[in-house]
Amino acid sequence: MDIVLTDSSLRKFLDTPANSDILSQNVSLCGPTFDRTKQVGDDYVYEIEAISNRIDTASAIGVAREAVAILTQFNIPAKLINDIYQEKPVFRTGLPRQFHFNIKKNQVLRFSAISLENISIKPSPKDIAIFLANCGQRPLNNCVDITNELTILYGMPSHIFDLDKLAAQNLIIRDSVDGEWLTTLDNEKHKLVSGDLVIEDGSGRLVDLCGIMGGQVAEVDEHTKRILLIVPVYDPKKIRRTSLRLQKRTIAAQLYEKQPDPELCLPVLYKAIQLIKERAGGEIASPLFDYYPLNRPPKLIALDLEWLNAFVGVNLNQETVISILASLGFGGTIDSGKIVCTVPSWRYYDINIKEDLAEEVARIYGYFKLPPILPCVNLPSEAVNPLLKAESFIKRYLSDIGYHEIYNNSLISLELLEKMGLNPADHLKLNNALSRDYEYLRMSLVPSALLNHKHNQGKIDEPLKTFEIANCYQKIEGRELPREISTLAMLSGEDYRKIKGEIEALLWKLRVKDISFKPSRTPPPFFNPAGTADIYSEKLLLGHIGSIKPGVLIKIDLLNNPMAIEINLADMVLKINRKYEFHPVPEYPPVLEEMTIDSRKSLGVIIETIQNTSELIKKVQYINSFKGKHSFGISFGNDNRNLEQSEINTLKDIIQNRFKV
Amino acid sequence: MVTKVIEIEQIKHELDNDLKKSSLSSDVDKLNTKYLGKQGRINFLFKTLPVKTDPQLGKAVNELKNLIKDKLSAKLSETLSHAQQDIVDVTVPGLEIPQGSLHLVTQAIEEIESIFQKLGFVRRRYPEVETDWYYAEGLNIPKDHPARDDQETFYITNNTVLTAHTSNGQLREMELKKTPPIKMINIGKTYRRQIDATHTPMFHQFEGLVIDKGINITHLLGVTEYFAKSYFGQERQTRLRPHHFQFTEPSFEIDVTCGVCQGTGMVHEIPCKVCKSGWLELGGAGMVHPNVLRNGNFDPEECSGFAFGWGVERVLMIKSGLPDLRLIYNDDIRFLKQF
Repeated sequence: MDIVLTDSSLRKFLDTPANSDILSQNVSLCGPTFDRTKQVGDDYVYEIEAISNRIDTASAIGVAREAVAILTQFNIPAKLINDIYQEKPVFRTGLPRQFHFNIKKNQVLRFSAISLENISIKPSPKDIAIFLANCGQRPLNNCVDITNELTILYGMPSHIFDLDKLAAQNLIIRDSVDGEWLTTLDNEKHKLVSGDLVIEDGSGRLVDLCGIMGGQVAEVDEHTKRILLIVPVYDPKKIRRTSLRLQKRTIAAQLYEKQPDPELCLPVLYKAIQLIKERAGGEIASPLFDYYPLNRPPKLIALDLEWLNAFVGVNLNQETVISILASLGFGGTIDSGKIVCTVPSWRYYDINIKEDLAEEVARIYGYFKLPPILPCVNLPSEAVNPLLKAESFIKRYLSDIGYHEIYNNSLISLELLEKMGLNPADHLKLNNALSRDYEYLRMSLVPSALLNHKHNQGKIDEPLKTFEIANCYQKIEGRELPREISTLAMLSGEDYRKIKGEIEALLWKLRVKDISFKPSRTPPPFFNPAGTADIYSEKLLLGHIGSIKPGVLIKIDLLNNPMAIEINLADMVLKINRKYEFHPVPEYPPVLEEMTIDSRKSLGVIIETIQNTSELIKKVQYINSFKGKHSFGISFGNDNRNLEQSEINTLKDIIQNRFKV
Repeated sequence: MVTKVIEIEQIKHELDNDLKKSSLSSDVDKLNTKYLGKQGRINFLFKTLPVKTDPQLGKAVNELKNLIKDKLSAKLSETLSHAQQDIVDVTVPGLEIPQGSLHLVTQAIEEIESIFQKLGFVRRRYPEVETDWYYAEGLNIPKDHPARDDQETFYITNNTVLTAHTSNGQLREMELKKTPPIKMINIGKTYRRQIDATHTPMFHQFEGLVIDKGINITHLLGVTEYFAKSYFGQERQTRLRPHHFQFTEPSFEIDVTCGVCQGTGMVHEIPCKVCKSGWLELGGAGMVHPNVLRNGNFDPEECSGFAFGWGVERVLMIKSGLPDLRLIYNDDIRFLKQF
């Protein structure tokens, strides 16, 4: 929780010669963080971040208490003064009852209230108005300002009603009913749902949205003569729920949802009474109403000194530990070798285990005093993760041959899925998407890649080549979690042969076994079936290569026709060859001859046919095609001797014969 | 023997004549073939003279061969220095190689991984779609805890989320290893329901976890400082501030000194716009909460550990001064190709 305090308000509780710089720097190292300091007149305004579980520090006295403990460690004199916990308020008895609260069970942890009369409402004294303004609050009148001032000083909200506007003999604190309306002091009307905490008065009106903001009906104004002052502590979960739902994040709500110390109720009530007397001439008109069903046994936690030193990495003695804890309000006695600590009331909920105490000791001692030491852990060796290794290799390889890496969001829109011809029902869908653009988890990286190319249309001259490696998410029937499949997608503005050559070289370099490309019978729906191949390693389908359906390109307004590759890397790494094979380098160089084949068969089949003709054919290289005639460069060779030209000619004849129809 | 010597002298003489007639480098090439080629004069001498039985003779032929090499090479240099047309214009532009690019996030992840690798951390990848147990409940965040309704988490079902942090890797790693020690770095994609200059719905985190006997706060400091100095620079300082997270106790916020104002908080006597009083938040860390150790079937009386979860984009922004995170999740190649 972020709070704003002035230096002067802090010094109401803190007696120290430390100036604002020293104060803010040192306290930030060990306690609440002073984010910013601003000089205003002769005062300083601090923006302070109170740690979320330390609601006791969201106040001037709370920060002061931390500062005393911390500055002392820096050998700077510091004393806590005007500690409200030391005050023992006494209330008059025998006054007539002016109001009564009926409280339903488990709604409040404590509820204290009192009424005052002979009030004269006027503006606050100037110094109070300036103080509130410096803390970011608008001064209203002397009484309301007192409640706001005390909230800043003690971290305990309070509220006042105009008693004459209430049917006060029968006030009820209860859960709201669905559909009830309440207008708060800021003139906003709120429709309540079942379970918001409210106060209803004897005439059936809702007069308070508990813990968040008072109701307008009982607002204190310049005519107010009698007031009802309440200092309650509510069920924090209820306050949080309502405050979040209505998006009413008042300071009171932020404090109440973290549950301030109920032991503060009476001291703060008493402080408020004194200030109302002083500034508005009011006098107590009722006996104290104090509903306090909570019974908290004292909390004791044992701390083993040896464990503490080992856990923090220090060597502190018992006296130091006890004195640090004492400076924060903890009691410490020795019992069978352990320090038994009593937890102060304002730390009752955040201190539960010995590690919590270790934190208190270590941070006040000063984290900055601890030496940085690299841990020596005897971790057994592990094999390199082949997937991570392959991903890193692929990224480097592709970026080296002209591909640009892009990171797209894993979430895509329904609209895009539909344009791609993909079935939304196959995809995982978010329950609470931020926008329609990011709603479904991708099962393919190609749709986003197509958008990348569309976004870059006209921006660069050369053909665009992009790639992405990311997880795709595949639902698995009967399992709660999807399979997360590391996937590679490449999209290139160059032609099929170019991208095919690139993927062939990549797979060869990765040592993926026995790669083959076969015309795809059932490619993913956005691939063009007339120009798409399945990519296999041995018999395992790794992915697809090919062009995109013209219809899809039109739907996403992509003007050119890029070539796409998508490969399942999780499967691919299973096919990486771990064995190394060696072949002796042939002593007799092969002879390269050109051949033209006239055939209607596919090039793959032609090449395979040539290759299979003889063991003497070492390599078949495709050159080009013209009107059904295909040119190849063929390497003939024998590892043991030079081939005679006549042998080569015979082989060429045999090859030609295999293509005679 | 004499006739052989004469033969050698003849070749010398012939070479001198030939050299006189040569003026182009191509002429020298031809002489090279004539004298030193496979079918050249020298090889002919080696083939026809009894060099094996007459070492004197063999030596003389070798000397001749070296003489020819020297003379030809001298002549070649001479012809080249005269031949203007053979000079290369060295200012000609090189043929362009296609330039691709590695994404900034990849570069940052690789750098982070290599730093932790040096410290002996094992790289892991754990699920991005996760059950409530690993994501929250098992990390000591009970069902009704305020941390649950922070509105930042993407839900898929009531019990499965898109992870908003990489801490789910903590319990996963404990399950994998079953006993201490653990020393891992889990780098992965994370998702939050927010978008502004410093937040994108998808980002990356790296989660460190070390568990062993006797692990304490000083070890967290050691690893933090090693990382910060390796990644940001040796001049950077780090500090721990108290903080609160459900799955660590104690918890810390770790700060690094700002690179813009050098940790002073002031730039030209104006408060630094990038940081808070000279410090930038690196991210959260802490000692693994005993409940989390128990949930991973580790005994908190036997071992202890620390964990941290920091943003890849966050450290990238701190290091590079990139003003807006949304820039790197833009797909404009003109931006991306700069890296």
